[in-house]
Amino acid sequence: MSPAQLASLVLLIPLISAAVIALFLRRQGALASYLSVAAAAGIAVASAMLIFGGQRNFPASVEWLRFGGFAVSFGFKFDDLAALMLFVVSFVGFFIHVFSLGYMRDDAAKARFFGGLSVFMFSMCGIVLADNLFMIFVFWELVGFSSYLLIGHWYERQSAADAAKKAYIVNRVGDFGFLLGIVMCYWLNHTVNLTELAARAPAGGLVFSRAIPLLLFCGAVGKSAQMPLHVWLPDAMEGPTPVSALIHAATMVAAGIYMLCRIQVLMVPQALTVIMWVGTITALYAAVCAIVQSDIKKVLAYSTLSQLGYMVAAFGLGAVLSRSPDGYTGFVSGTLYDGPAFLISAGAAAAMFHLTTHAFFKALLFLGSGSIIHACHHEQDIFKMGGLAKRMPWTFLTFTVGVFAIIGLPFFAGFFSKDAILFLARQNNIVVFWVLVFTAVLTAVYMTRLWRITFFGEARSESAAHAHESGATMVIPLVVLAVGAALSGYGFFYDHLLGGAFKGVLSLVPEPEGPAHWMMIAVGTGAMFVGASFALGYYRPAAVDRLQAAVPVVFGALVAIKESFDRLYGYYVAKVQQRLAVLLDVIDQVLIAGWIVRGGTTVVGYLGMGARLLYSGKLYAYAFWILIGVVILWGFAAGGF
Amino acid sequence: MPVAVTLSSLQEIAASNQWAAIMPELLLAGLAVLVLGFELVVPKTYRALIPAIAISGLAIILLGVGIHFHTTFLNDDTFDHLLHHSDGGQFMRVFFLLTAILVCLLATVTLERQPVPKAEFYHLVIVITAALMLLAQSNHFVMFFVALETVTVGFYILVSYFRTSAASLEGGLKYLILSALSSAILLFGIVLLYGVAGNRALPGATADAMNFGALRGFLAANPDNFLANVGAVLVLAGVAFKIGAVPFQFWIPDVYQGAPTPVTAFLAVGSKAAGFAVLLILALDVFRPLQAVLVPVLSVMAVATILFGNLAALTQNNVKRLMGLSGVSHAGYLLVGVIAAYREPLAVGAVYFYLLAYLLASFAVFAVMAHVSGSDDADQDLEHYANLARERPFLGTVLAIGLGSLAGIPPLAGFMGKLLIFIFAFKAGLYGLLTAAVVGVVISIYYYFGWIRAAFFPFRRATGLAASEPPRPVITRVGFPVAAAMVLLAAGSVILGFYQGPLGVWLVSR
Repeated sequence: MSPAQLASLVLLIPLISAAVIALFLRRQGALASYLSVAAAAGIAVASAMLIFGGQRNFPASVEWLRFGGFAVSFGFKFDDLAALMLFVVSFVGFFIHVFSLGYMRDDAAKARFFGGLSVFMFSMCGIVLADNLFMIFVFWELVGFSSYLLIGHWYERQSAADAAKKAYIVNRVGDFGFLLGIVMCYWLNHTVNLTELAARAPAGGLVFSRAIPLLLFCGAVGKSAQMPLHVWLPDAMEGPTPVSALIHAATMVAAGIYMLCRIQVLMVPQALTVIMWVGTITALYAAVCAIVQSDIKKVLAYSTLSQLGYMVAAFGLGAVLSRSPDGYTGFVSGTLYDGPAFLISAGAAAAMFHLTTHAFFKALLFLGSGSIIHACHHEQDIFKMGGLAKRMPWTFLTFTVGVFAIIGLPFFAGFFSKDAILFLARQNNIVVFWVLVFTAVLTAVYMTRLWRITFFGEARSESAAHAHESGATMVIPLVVLAVGAALSGYGFFYDHLLGGAFKGVLSLVPEPEGPAHWMMIAVGTGAMFVGASFALGYYRPAAVDRLQAAVPVVFGALVAIKESFDRLYGYYVAKVQQRLAVLLDVIDQVLIAGWIVRGGTTVVGYLGMGARLLYSGKLYAYAFWILIGVVILWGFAAGGF
Repeated sequence: MPVAVTLSSLQEIAASNQWAAIMPELLLAGLAVLVLGFELVVPKTYRALIPAIAISGLAIILLGVGIHFHTTFLNDDTFDHLLHHSDGGQFMRVFFLLTAILVCLLATVTLERQPVPKAEFYHLVIVITAALMLLAQSNHFVMFFVALETVTVGFYILVSYFRTSAASLEGGLKYLILSALSSAILLFGIVLLYGVAGNRALPGATADAMNFGALRGFLAANPDNFLANVGAVLVLAGVAFKIGAVPFQFWIPDVYQGAPTPVTAFLAVGSKAAGFAVLLILALDVFRPLQAVLVPVLSVMAVATILFGNLAALTQNNVKRLMGLSGVSHAGYLLVGVIAAYREPLAVGAVYFYLLAYLLASFAVFAVMAHVSGSDDADQDLEHYANLARERPFLGTVLAIGLGSLAGIPPLAGFMGKLLIFIFAFKAGLYGLLTAAVVGVVISIYYYFGWIRAAFFPFRRATGLAASEPPRPVITRVGFPVAAAMVLLAAGSVILGFYQGPLGVWLVSR
């Protein structure tokens, strides 16, 4: 099978699955779930053949629509970057599907859930494979739609319905900027095709503008939940936990970072600086918020925000530093050209590396939390758990691996990828470096706090006391992902073991050498130990947050920081937008609907009645009308009118 | 005049009698006789074959015209300039044959329910079709009038064909009297033109003023002659009666309601299209020198027709009346195309395209009406359509496509028709007409969608009234040939909206 056919297959399998479920299997939940999981397996197989088949940048494009000179094509751009992302999506996605089998077993609307997952897989693979910005946008909206569908899965709950709506609306704000960016890119460069853009960049054939990358970045801000559009992601935890793992941790929220890497050629230094700071601030802010959360999924959600901030910051940082055959050299345009093939920058490589490891350990952590929530009968408050280490050994072990990975314990995945980012920051911007190091400390704090309170001590509620280990469909994915979380960091050293499939990305991951190497290890490990030991020493597995009890001022301040954005947006919506809407509504009701529409209807209605009255049914009346018409025509002929 | 000279001049004239040029019309005449003869000769048990004979005969002739579309007589006069053969005329031939086939198909549905003879109906439809085809090719007022009267007399009978129905008889009588009145006006116009053109005192006077070419020569020399102008507008009044333009549209609702549904469709499509075929010849060619008077006349007529037709259709509850009055508004849009053609000759193609889209959509709707109506053919109310789409999804779908196309909803053919006409009107700078047309379209959406809504939702009426309403008629089962035709009509309406292809190119860029 040709690579283009394989890529089409990757897209078609989930689409067919979604269509079949939507059309025929809405009432057969079990069948629908098997079909969806089979589709995910199919995607995994097809994409593995595609990724490890060695074919890259094969031509595959068909014209879809043409408006004058503007053609929208539908095609694939499959390079190492896309291969890495596709690997994450298909591999992690498949195990999350398997986990869902167990997690959603008793759900009433199972078919809708699994149909939604298939729609999501289709849209996400579309983003990964798309060869032009317009196509990315189409699938971008589709993932937004499937995210909406799945967050609101339990729409009977008002909070879930609200969260779905919020996610959709906030994403629309970012997407509007994204769309403007696409339009502007087309306006200035007359193409939105990624391959063409990349091919024209070395020859100086591109028109650069600060606005294009920044507008496109708006899309990433929405989808990857960067400040100030981050507010939807914590609320999105209303969705079922596998959804949180798949969409709101491993893949969709990372699509923003992936998209940035795809459009690197368009970057200019000023835009990169903005991106760097947005990512840095998000990383810090979200880590602060995570410390005061008591809902296990909310902690993980803020942690996701923070890690996404790392990735965005890495992307922004990497521009200036790239690796060339002579070691590290500074770059202005942020891109490195190696012969005819376009390679991504060190920052993008670091971001993608962290994206990959994060996909494993965060999916693992979310699924672990899902396993706990399932066992505790949908109890999500960590202060009502406790003592789960003994009762759920597999979950405990795998979750622990995830915690190690995220806090950056040496030799676990996060250690490598986070160090790469910190190293970039060290070389480039010392302020950002220290902020990110401090964020690493906070990461260790909130993760260790979560781990300690959840798994140790006595069971602090009825449901936690009766918790028991989940079934095989849930444990196996945990184990597989734990292996990934432990080992995915080595992909960067041993990518030849994977047939060099991701060489184009992983070989560019910045890597300190000599004394700098030891310095980076010392700083990273030090930050981790400081944070972890503080949390171990300070937090006790108790029914209340010690920080809240002991220093309510600090705790309150942190909560206020967390809620500041929601308050601000709430104020804006309630006081500004709502009032404007009411005003417009009045105008609409009175002026448009009242006078113009209803008035117009009334007039037209009367005219119609009048016209009808002329039809008396009397023959002589009709004859007279005809004669009157003749007289009028005669008048015309006589020049009377 | 010596006999020999007369004889030789007659021979000369006879030499131009190219019978092959009117082969389709001759074949139709033969078919008409065959249908009648079949009923006389063949035993009763075989009479069911009559519609099949009529329809297959028409289809064969249609095929023949299609194959010989580019005849050797194109752009030529025959029969001593009585007829002029143009590709527009060829298009109308195809159009009328298509119309006749569809009318016959509808008749197989409607006539079954009535205690009336069958063969005469098909006979008359075929005769009228032949006359319509000659009318669209006439080049001489005598030919024109004879063909027109053949059509009209045929319709007198067809409208009142359901002799047991009071509504049908009333419609027939009204049509007879008003049509006679309009023919009188038309004839008066012709006489005035003939008289004034024969006046030796005027430049360009001609003894052969009935001939279109000669008449145009005379009018070009006397564009300001009062009598000539009066004659021309009176002729146009007669044509306006056929197309149903205001203020000559008054006959339409009553006659449409009374006439059997296939006849209503024939009037709405065939008779109207014939009016436009004639109008294109007369207004754009023969009377072209009189533009200064005719353009304002037609413009006022178009605006009044669009607005009046739509407004009057708004309050109708009987779907036949509604189709009639909405047909009036379609005549208005077509008039806009005709006026645009004074400055943009390609607009003629847009008029043809509109007629074709109108044929497809109208017959789709009439076909549904033929199935929904009961034994009382005049009684077809919107309420009868309640919940049609749920009970009979096929009929509901065809109805929705037909009405959507009539309303001009993209991407259906009716939309493209309106779009083309509006584009040419815009190019010709007819902004006032364009405004009226757009307003008209907006109003029309209300009643067309009112009908669609009636078909797609259960009818809600105030409680307590339910018992007093008579039950709605039983919907007829859709037979195979009619169903196939309906599928083709609906598919045509959809496809022509997306893809006009060579047909569109041929029509609009001749």
